[in-house]
Amino acid sequence: MAKQNDTRQKNSSGLMALVADRSFYVLGVILFMIVWQIAGSLRLFGADFSEAFSPLAAILALVEMIKNGELVHHALPSLRRVLVSLSLAVVVALPIGVLVGYFKRIEQLTYVVFQFMRMISPLAWMPIAIIIFGVGDVSVVFLLWLVAIWPLILNTSHGAGRVSPLWVNMAKTMGALDMGILRKVVIPAAVPDMLTGLRLAVGVSWIILVPAEMLGVPDGLGYFILDTRDRFRYDQLMATIMVIGMIGYLLDSANRWLIHKFSWKN
Amino acid sequence: MITERSVLISVRQVTKTYKKDGREFHALRDCSFDVMKNEFLVIVGPTGCGKSTLLNLVAGLDFPTSGTILLNGEPVTGPGADRGVIFQEYALLPWRSVLKNVELGFEFRKSPMSRSQREAEAMKYLDMVGLGYAVKKNPGELSGGMKRRASLAMILAIKPVILLMDGAFNALDSKTKMTMHQEITRIWETEKNTIVFVTSDLDEAVKLADRIVVLNREGSIEAVLQNDLPRPRLGSAARDLDFHHRFIAFRETVMNVIKKDAGLRTCAIS
Repeated sequence: MAKQNDTRQKNSSGLMALVADRSFYVLGVILFMIVWQIAGSLRLFGADFSEAFSPLAAILALVEMIKNGELVHHALPSLRRVLVSLSLAVVVALPIGVLVGYFKRIEQLTYVVFQFMRMISPLAWMPIAIIIFGVGDVSVVFLLWLVAIWPLILNTSHGAGRVSPLWVNMAKTMGALDMGILRKVVIPAAVPDMLTGLRLAVGVSWIILVPAEMLGVPDGLGYFILDTRDRFRYDQLMATIMVIGMIGYLLDSANRWLIHKFSWKN
Repeated sequence: MITERSVLISVRQVTKTYKKDGREFHALRDCSFDVMKNEFLVIVGPTGCGKSTLLNLVAGLDFPTSGTILLNGEPVTGPGADRGVIFQEYALLPWRSVLKNVELGFEFRKSPMSRSQREAEAMKYLDMVGLGYAVKKNPGELSGGMKRRASLAMILAIKPVILLMDGAFNALDSKTKMTMHQEITRIWETEKNTIVFVTSDLDEAVKLADRIVVLNREGSIEAVLQNDLPRPRLGSAARDLDFHHRFIAFRETVMNVIKKDAGLRTCAIS
């Protein structure tokens, strides 16, 4: 599909076709906004709140939040928390994933525990996080870290585990030792799966971020959701929801770009 | 050929059994033969007769159930860079360019060469296999024949004393196969390595071999045949009528040995 579009771009009529093709994505967004606006106008969200819940009100509130700096004030801490926890998760999860994938015994030792742990919502750990780390940034980062490591570990180990035995044998006959095989064969072979793991980790971290930021931190998009509610600014609440969705979409797009750029193909 | 040659590889009473679905079956049964230094030895036999198993044992990727394999008088304990293996399937790393794949051996063995020296050395072998024009390509962009050449260059670059080739030219079109035969013969003659070559193509066996080891369906050695056809056997030499007759006669000899084993049933030999 992508390749087809690349070749189309070569002539100008092809470019037009590409624009026409891509315009359907934009059209979908516009249609969604229209339906949303109509639903508001028909008071489908209740007599009192429908106006505040409409996209027009949300967009106006968004402009206001950009102007008075509230948006940046709350979005930056959220992004910082997600990036810090993801970095820590990557540092811990990738080496574990490679070892688990490459050494069968380590996989057997960890399998049940990992599958068990990954099914526990990190929010269940919340009281424990607060007892250990107190209310604040560290607890939020810890919860996000806890949710990000599982997709990273499991995807990396999957990638490291399905390395072709042919490559490993080839490396051995070329005089490679275990370390060389790991560095030159197993790890690069697992890169596409690592990136898939990262994409899943980013998605789930961003989703968990909002409830995690409701745990007593003084800023962040999750905090701001509660704040707008308390101030009865439902238009700002809708605007914040839109921002959360948009940032999530952009983060995911960045990940898709990484996958496209750094995944090898056969 | 040369009269006095020392033994390099010695296969002594090697038996290899596998368990499959609770049943034991013999891949190899009491096989014994020697490979001389700088010899071109070809192993032929019907499919599934243990040819590949035998090669894996020499490579040190697997171990015999009983018997020993000696390399320079020492038992084989594992794989080593003295034995380059070219597998039936291509073992090129798809995320590396052809050039980077050939450089892999230097990286594994922590060669002290600088980056540009490695590149130059790798280029030497890629030129040798006639792939100097495609070094920047990724394996995915290569044809079957080009992949073969690339893996050959990759293995040659580690300068193995012994080349173990398992069905290395299977699935190549006849023209590419012919070129590869010329290349491997030329490399063997200049680099003076020892080659153990597994195939089920009799023409190929007769063209390349100093000696042919025939394995039978039971996984034991049916015969070891000396190939006295003069070299060069490829290119214009093959058009000599007398040579041609001798070629056909020897191929017939090999064929008869195999047919005896197959009992005239459909035979996997092409």
